[in-house]
Amino acid sequence: MTDAALYQSILASLPEIVVVTGACILLVLGQIVPKGPGHFLVWASAATVLVAALATLLLAGEVRPAHSGMFIADRFAVFFKMVFYLSTILTFLLSRKYAEIEGIALSEYYVLLLFALCGMMIMASATDLLSVYVGLELMSLSTYVLTGFLRQQRRSNEASLKYVILGGVSTGIFLYGVSLVYGLTGTTQLDGMAAAVTGDPLDPGLLLAVVFIVAGLVFKVGAVPFHMWVPDVYEGAPTTITAFMSVAPKAAGFAVILRVFLNPLVAASDAWIIVAVIAVVTMALGSFVALVQDNFKRLLAYSSIAHAGFAMFGVVAGGADGIASVMLYLLIYTFMNLGIFGTVIMMRNGDFSGEVIEEYAGFAKSHPGLALLMLLYLFSLAGIPPTAGFFAKFYVLVALIERGFVVLAVIAVLLSAVAAYFYIRIVMVIYMREPERAFEPALTPSVRATLALTAAGTIGIGLFPAWFLRLAQSSVFGG
Amino acid sequence: MAFPLLSLIVFMPAAGAAVLMFLRSDDAVRWTALGVTVLDLALCIAMLAGFDTTTHEMQFTETRPWVPALGITYALGIDGISALFVFLTALLGWICVLASWVAIDRKVKEFMVSLLAMQALMLGMFCALDLFLFYVFWEAMLIPMYVIIGVWGGDGRVYAAFKFFLYTLAGSLLFLIGVIALYFHGGETFDILALTAQDLPFRVQSWLFFAFLIAFAVKVPMVPVHTWLPDAHVQAPTAGSIILAGVLLKMGAYGFLRFSLPMLPEASVHYSTLMLALSALAIVYGGLLALAQDDLKKLVAYSSISHMGFVTLGIFTLNLRGLEGGILQMFNHGVTTGALFLFVGLIYERTHTRSFADYGGLMKAAPVYTAFLALFTLSSMALPGTNSFVGELLVLSGAFAANLAVGAAAVLGALLGAAYLLGMYRKVALGPASVGARFKIRDVNAREMVAILPLAAFVLWVGLYPKPFLDIIDASAKHLLAQVHGRGDGP
Repeated sequence: MTDAALYQSILASLPEIVVVTGACILLVLGQIVPKGPGHFLVWASAATVLVAALATLLLAGEVRPAHSGMFIADRFAVFFKMVFYLSTILTFLLSRKYAEIEGIALSEYYVLLLFALCGMMIMASATDLLSVYVGLELMSLSTYVLTGFLRQQRRSNEASLKYVILGGVSTGIFLYGVSLVYGLTGTTQLDGMAAAVTGDPLDPGLLLAVVFIVAGLVFKVGAVPFHMWVPDVYEGAPTTITAFMSVAPKAAGFAVILRVFLNPLVAASDAWIIVAVIAVVTMALGSFVALVQDNFKRLLAYSSIAHAGFAMFGVVAGGADGIASVMLYLLIYTFMNLGIFGTVIMMRNGDFSGEVIEEYAGFAKSHPGLALLMLLYLFSLAGIPPTAGFFAKFYVLVALIERGFVVLAVIAVLLSAVAAYFYIRIVMVIYMREPERAFEPALTPSVRATLALTAAGTIGIGLFPAWFLRLAQSSVFGG
Repeated sequence: MAFPLLSLIVFMPAAGAAVLMFLRSDDAVRWTALGVTVLDLALCIAMLAGFDTTTHEMQFTETRPWVPALGITYALGIDGISALFVFLTALLGWICVLASWVAIDRKVKEFMVSLLAMQALMLGMFCALDLFLFYVFWEAMLIPMYVIIGVWGGDGRVYAAFKFFLYTLAGSLLFLIGVIALYFHGGETFDILALTAQDLPFRVQSWLFFAFLIAFAVKVPMVPVHTWLPDAHVQAPTAGSIILAGVLLKMGAYGFLRFSLPMLPEASVHYSTLMLALSALAIVYGGLLALAQDDLKKLVAYSSISHMGFVTLGIFTLNLRGLEGGILQMFNHGVTTGALFLFVGLIYERTHTRSFADYGGLMKAAPVYTAFLALFTLSSMALPGTNSFVGELLVLSGAFAANLAVGAAAVLGALLGAAYLLGMYRKVALGPASVGARFKIRDVNAREMVAILPLAAFVLWVGLYPKPFLDIIDASAKHLLAQVHGRGDGP
């Protein structure tokens, strides 16, 4: 590698380097600095992310292929990295008080989040199946540990173990698919793979390889039939980590799926049928099973499965609008889902777990402002205008109908009508029941900031979607 | 660009709702809500004063880019059809505030915020000239209405609120698919006027017609998708019922007038017989159901189904008399049934019962109340001299011209109307004075009188001199028919 190429590679991956360096320094500092002023960890971690964000934005001007074709810093990656930064920072803000209450305010907690962030960033930029794998593993390993961070709780340990085993198997399957691709085509580059996949006639070995790779990726976004881990892991993990996992790793999974599937060559093939089936089944399962959940975190787990299904419809649609619709969907989902998780996390105070939906009865009576925020997030998740959630769904439907998938669009809206039921059921509990207890939400300034930001995003993108839409459309690769 | 009068009318209640959130005392909330709604009505009157009845063109138009990448604009404007409903919405707005003055005694602020939000959304929907904007207003209404029914309603309010929400949502989402399909077939624009000018192939029109029909039929509501209405009406607080009957039910009919007829003319003509049959079914079936009720509010609710049947009947006769009658009847139904729900609410506040078995002899205890109740009951029956007579006569004459059997069924429905309404009046007002003795009924007070009188005035005004109202509709209705029956050759 020449000096110039090396310089280019370092420049292209500067944000990742910043995050990893910051994480390593914090790991050391966390052991040296005496316990007590735990705040510094939060702010230092957040500062690391902000520096990385700054670097990303400054370097966003041009497309930089790097590391001998394994990595690329393009606008598509920039968009996803921004989603990751946003969700990570919001997770930090939400964690400050929650981690203290749960007694997990260790430096490793923040450091692992930073490593997970770095893994996702690599996934968004990866153009080779091996660099995808590196990012995927870095992200997964960090989240396995974070899931089990509540060491004293059986639930958390169980979730972590389940996640490790299933995640390990799925990664193994993914890797096996990669090895098949390499054996059959002699390359692991996405472009090369796409060229091979669309070769005519399709090699059954390659088809098998694609199925394996898809299985590995679909596991990460929690789509059927690889969704089994989602409810248990979401329920067992610390709520802040659940919030993080419901948004960021999912977006990272979609980033890779988009790169693999919307490669113009693959898009021309019939691969969309597989994705369409996955999308329909995922959304149906998420929507229907969520109807009978009593636990708030489990409900949000199934809701996130349903949303993954809806975003998958955008992948089915394909084309520039399809890709942009998935990206916009994930951005909006970040705001509204972290918003609703923020309210759940805030309720965790004293002996009140905030996990049972019925326990929120009459919340609107004592805290009308917070109840209004929950109403906003829930209606946004249900996709009712004028919230952002509506525009996200609307744009996916536009992309679907543009490509002539009217039947799929009808299925999607009917299932979202089913999904609306369990969101408004929570609104009902909050507004239409008499309170049975006093509420003391842990409303710290950082939680307030999170709620303000997510609410602004949820209502702001809903009312003025033009700028965000253009942003997503201009970030579509090759378009 | 001229003064944005329509934006002001639409967003004044929304701004009022925002102000309310910062008020502390319930009285301040009530008076502010009243002030905002009265001011809004004043603006609407000013708008009607400047309204040109000689043209079918959109007036007071405003256009701003909103989401240029998808061809979405923020466009408002009104023609003769929407002007009447903008006015009706504003008229009922402050009456709703008055009707909830003492009836709503907890969470007053939240209630008034929902009420004002509702009004802003309804006004916006009638003014919208962009299909996306229209859909946003149309669908966003579910949120405040769900809260109004679910929080301040009767004992079965949660069930009723869910039923209302899910019925309308399921209908609306298919409408959304239709809207997006129309967007791609109509040249990638959401501009209603541009879409109206498109000439779509019949097959596309048919699909869209049924996609739209599901959404609109749920709102109207037409038999057999009417079952949410009795629950929602009976459980909703008085103001909620007035909004539901007065404005919300008109949204479906307005949808037919604004989208189905002008955008899908061939499909509208082709399926008009089906629509006439469904309307006749709603008239007779709604009437029969009303006849069987022993609950005052349920009776009025079922009578709404029957009366809205006359509206859709008039619209799908696709001739001038039927159409104008249907539109006028929409306005009349808003006034009359709104008033009847107000009266049900007034008596319920006093007696806390709605069952006919508990009523009787109210005439002695509350003579003013019963006198006005008589007026509105007669208006609902379409007695000559009242507003509904004009509307129903036009609809019936249109219906007989269009289809003899349907006309006959509609007359049967009108007879049924007389039967259940007179029966209701007899059970409530006449007979031995059971209620007065038990409940010490007081007659209407000044506040209630202020809410009743304007409605009574419109009943008589439209009944005795309907010309100003028909003038507003006339040009737009004629233009609409010209669009349906092929451009240029007219009805």
